Amino acid sequence: MSMVDGPKVSAGAESARLGADASSVRTTAKGTRTQRLRDRWNDLTRPQQWLWLIVVVVLAYLLPVLNIPILTTAPGNDWPLACFSMASFALIAVGLNIVVGYAGLLDLGYVAFFAVGSYTSAMLTSPDSPFLHIPYLWTIPVAMAVAMFFGVVLGIPTLRLRGDYLAIVTLGFGEIVRILATIIPAMKGQVGFQNVGRPPGVAADGIPIFANSNGTPWYWLTLTVILIVLLLVGNLERSRVGRAWVAIREDEDAAEIMGVPTFKYKVWAFAIGAAVGGLSGSLFAGQVGFVNNQKFDVQSSILFLAAVVLGGAGNKVGAVLGGALVAYIPLRFTAIADYKYLIFGIALVVIMIFRSKGLLPARQRLLAYGHQAYRRIVGKSDPLSQPPGALPPSVDPGAAVTR
Amino acid sequence: MALLELKNVTVHYGRIQAIHDMSFSVEEGEIVSLIGANGAGKTTTMQTISGLLNASGGSITFDGEDITKMKAHIRVVRGISQSPEGRRIFPGMTVLENLDMGAFGRRDRSKIAADFDRVFHLFPRLAERKTQLGGTMSGGEQQMLAIGRALMSVPRLLLLDEPSMGLAPQFIRQIFKIITEINEQGTTILLVEQNANQALARADRAFVLETGAITHSGSGKELLANPAIKEAYLGVG
Repeated sequence: MSMVDGPKVSAGAESARLGADASSVRTTAKGTRTQRLRDRWNDLTRPQQWLWLIVVVVLAYLLPVLNIPILTTAPGNDWPLACFSMASFALIAVGLNIVVGYAGLLDLGYVAFFAVGSYTSAMLTSPDSPFLHIPYLWTIPVAMAVAMFFGVVLGIPTLRLRGDYLAIVTLGFGEIVRILATIIPAMKGQVGFQNVGRPPGVAADGIPIFANSNGTPWYWLTLTVILIVLLLVGNLERSRVGRAWVAIREDEDAAEIMGVPTFKYKVWAFAIGAAVGGLSGSLFAGQVGFVNNQKFDVQSSILFLAAVVLGGAGNKVGAVLGGALVAYIPLRFTAIADYKYLIFGIALVVIMIFRSKGLLPARQRLLAYGHQAYRRIVGKSDPLSQPPGALPPSVDPGAAVTR
Repeated sequence: MALLELKNVTVHYGRIQAIHDMSFSVEEGEIVSLIGANGAGKTTTMQTISGLLNASGGSITFDGEDITKMKAHIRVVRGISQSPEGRRIFPGMTVLENLDMGAFGRRDRSKIAADFDRVFHLFPRLAERKTQLGGTMSGGEQQMLAIGRALMSVPRLLLLDEPSMGLAPQFIRQIFKIITEINEQGTTILLVEQNANQALARADRAFVLETGAITHSGSGKELLANPAIKEAYLGVG
């Protein structure tokens, strides 16, 4: 298994760097299959797009109930719980995508925020905890706030670093949180917290709706949270903030001399990413019902990063797909348990060979931004839908340029 | 009062001093050239003025305000804009998006359309390539984009770092013509160049930089006629 881990990890890290830098070799995406799909999508009217989205969302909600024979993880793993696991990973990937995909900050310690969220929910609801107890649902915003606070606290000193240096420091931070959970007595190390709270509600047979073994309601809750987060993140990426992040990802110095307060926006990316990480940690703690220091290791951080890169760094829908896939593959192949990580590794490598920018590359969003920018600024017809204009015959200075 | 004034500015990279006690000023409406060999400190000077590097001593004043400690992104709002060495356009953004980023710090977004028109008028080539990705353009086109992007913040002082680097001679003449045109439209220009011939011919005043200090100064024409400079930088003598 460790043999498989090696290539898997390095493939993830390497392509993360590619994801951050590949823009320089990116060409106009015309002609590729994704581009054709995209064109077809853009050609649809707004109501048609909404209709398709509703169909996809309804199918997503039905996923644990349908239990499609080829897709299902049963009998090795309970299918609704597998669905929750996929949704959980997808949510994490959406959060990490803000940091890695949008702002281009390589974070190898993202599991720390997930841990902070988990522990916040656990320590505020578990009977093992001596602290104040509040209803589980209230711990979700608290977990987000606490994780966000940690994001800012980590971000302010470290975001002056760049690239590999930032990656190393975040890696260290991830470990610090895990080790603190081990050595601080109040956090109970490996013993952990049992009976973490759950949302209210009891079914007719007296069993809580959100029982630990009942994956479907947890999946629906998480999916709903994902959809809300996607809407918010979508607004964010179309805003000034999103443009600043893309500029920072492409060239931080250039962004700064365009008037982008790069440091402030990087801290924001960290904080918002951390909040989503805390949110997913909180949901995870609630579903599992038990939190100790075992889940929050470096391997999880790398898996999260793999999910983002796999989906296509910088594309939030890609992150959902990537996250779901990273959770799905090992669960699907537990029947051949000895080989599940081998299959996982092969799947990652194959995807990165054939789709080196991820399942859904990021360019879509930038193009959409181009459409908008042009309409807003010039207020004329959209040039993107026109064929490239004929070049004037007289002066052609660019052609005389040596590269 | 000078638009930009450097007084005894020193800059360090770690322990290595790159700029020694540099003082010069740029008046409103001028084109000022800094020429010098590789490693003379030209780009360091530019980055210290734009704020990407911090001066370790001395002071920089812009329009009467001390900006020595000011962050780079605030200097843009104050009116200093830079077309950096190596162009540094955003490769994954289209021409339009790149130009729009240039206007990031502006509050008067309603007036931006006019500035797009201005840039497209100066560089018709960019107008033809609005939706092309920056990273896929030729060096010359990227240079136009870098200058155009810097103009989108409507600067009072435009810093041009090596606009002729890596370009064909025919195109260098054209770029310099456009630089003069931008200046005639009222933008003060500080130009850093290795192409001393063009830089001096177009400049009101010029300074020669050697190992981090100014060794000659004068009007562009004076320096063009100076035998020592001819020999060192113009390849004649």
